[in-house]
Amino acid sequence: MNVVLSWAAVSVYVLVLAFVAIRARAAREYEDFSVAKRALPLALIFGSLAADYVGPGFSLGFVGRGFNSGFLFLFVGLAYAVQNILVGLLVAPKLRELKDCYTLGDAMGQKYGRKCQILAGLISVGLCTLFSAVMISAGSVVLNDIFGLPRWLSVSVVAVVTASYTTFGGLRASVITDAFHFVLFALLLPAIFLYALLFHFEGGAASFFQQASTATTDGFKSASAIQIVSFVAAFLLGETLIPPYANLALASKTARISRNGFILAGLFSSVWFTVMVSLGIVARTVVAKDTHEDYVLLSLVNSIMPHVGYALLLVALVSIVLSSLDSLLNAGAVVFTQDILRRFAKLPDTVALKSGRYSTIIIAGIAAAAAVFVPSVIKGLLFCYTIWAPAILPALIIGLWIKQPRPLAGLLSMITGTLVALLFELPFLLKTQVPAILPALACSLTAYLLGHWAEGFYKRRPFSVVLRRMKRK
Amino acid sequence: MKAILLALVVLAVLIIIACGIWVGVALISAIMPVRKPKPPPKT
Repeated sequence: MNVVLSWAAVSVYVLVLAFVAIRARAAREYEDFSVAKRALPLALIFGSLAADYVGPGFSLGFVGRGFNSGFLFLFVGLAYAVQNILVGLLVAPKLRELKDCYTLGDAMGQKYGRKCQILAGLISVGLCTLFSAVMISAGSVVLNDIFGLPRWLSVSVVAVVTASYTTFGGLRASVITDAFHFVLFALLLPAIFLYALLFHFEGGAASFFQQASTATTDGFKSASAIQIVSFVAAFLLGETLIPPYANLALASKTARISRNGFILAGLFSSVWFTVMVSLGIVARTVVAKDTHEDYVLLSLVNSIMPHVGYALLLVALVSIVLSSLDSLLNAGAVVFTQDILRRFAKLPDTVALKSGRYSTIIIAGIAAAAAVFVPSVIKGLLFCYTIWAPAILPALIIGLWIKQPRPLAGLLSMITGTLVALLFELPFLLKTQVPAILPALACSLTAYLLGHWAEGFYKRRPFSVVLRRMKRK
Repeated sequence: MKAILLALVVLAVLIIIACGIWVGVALISAIMPVRKPKPPPKT
């Protein structure tokens, strides 16, 4: 009976998803495929941004953290809200105002030239593929839990389902399915919280306060200062303006919608973390104390709700993984076409659209093959975050704000940021427990300043002039 | 203080549900746009 209900829940979900994806329409032009004709309204930008980040980490992970360390992680999570709000205030509207800009690489190209665009494109495509592999791996783990499918089959199901609607629908289909997934999650998890609070949590407000303060005190005692700094750094910088978010900034109807979408998503994240951490606190009176933190939410739902509720939660988890994955696949495909292929050949829009579609399939295939080797979801995500911020952010943000950015500065910053971040993944440097993102970011900034100064120096005193002067003497 | 903490959490829950409904309405209007009736031809 339980298996029948689980299958029924999954079937209904797949049918509704198929209906939504079909209604989203196939993209007929490259402008539609890559930036949804720059016509997305505020609610869809907000919903898609929120659906992208409310993944398993920000739901399962935060419930587990709330269970073990109370509101400590809420303070860490606020760094993420601050990051989104800062992007909304300082970067997203500036990006949206650039003309003929389809990707972050385009922005880099307009500011620093062709070489920087290609380099930014290579880094972006590489990271989108890695991120996709991590997401496919996460989705396959949940499918394994539900149906006990073999790994290769669950990986294939996740990759094929997502690639199929992203290939035809492009960004618009991705955003619309994201919105659908967001609605599912935004209604289901608060309902679980209210159900647990009203029917299974004993002691009311006084007991909640007691559990929260005990857990938070335990959390502060068990976490070292360097651990807290690492988490804050990862939340503040790790996911900043990764390609799918940048695409949303570029696809919004106006610069104002782009700004407000990021600000609202930032504010929403703090509200979301509050509820997830509180769900973990409520679980302290229901779930066994030695439960692994990744399984607190699943154990809570399994013990208090009917089996179909558990199946629905698992389906919602798969859906939220798909919503992150479709955005990554679309972003990777658009970046590959725009920043790499179009830099070497003049592609008309119809050819670019075809190339975007084929790239989606190829990236999904490579990511699915890599997904089998991803050791852990969190480790994979942290690796991607560590590279992204130092490689791209300093050059991008400074480039958007200063009047005449210099190509050498952008190039040096991107190369140095990537190499230092990779260096800190070596075992002997990993042992130091220093969050790699911080030294890599510092080196990237220093390289930028050096490059800026060196190019300025060269321009002011070109060697030709110096040589001429020497000849005269 | 204790009641305020729980009240704030419940408020956060309501905000999430409201956001879900808001995005849901936008989603429905995006996939099933309401067609405006054509104006009658001028005679």
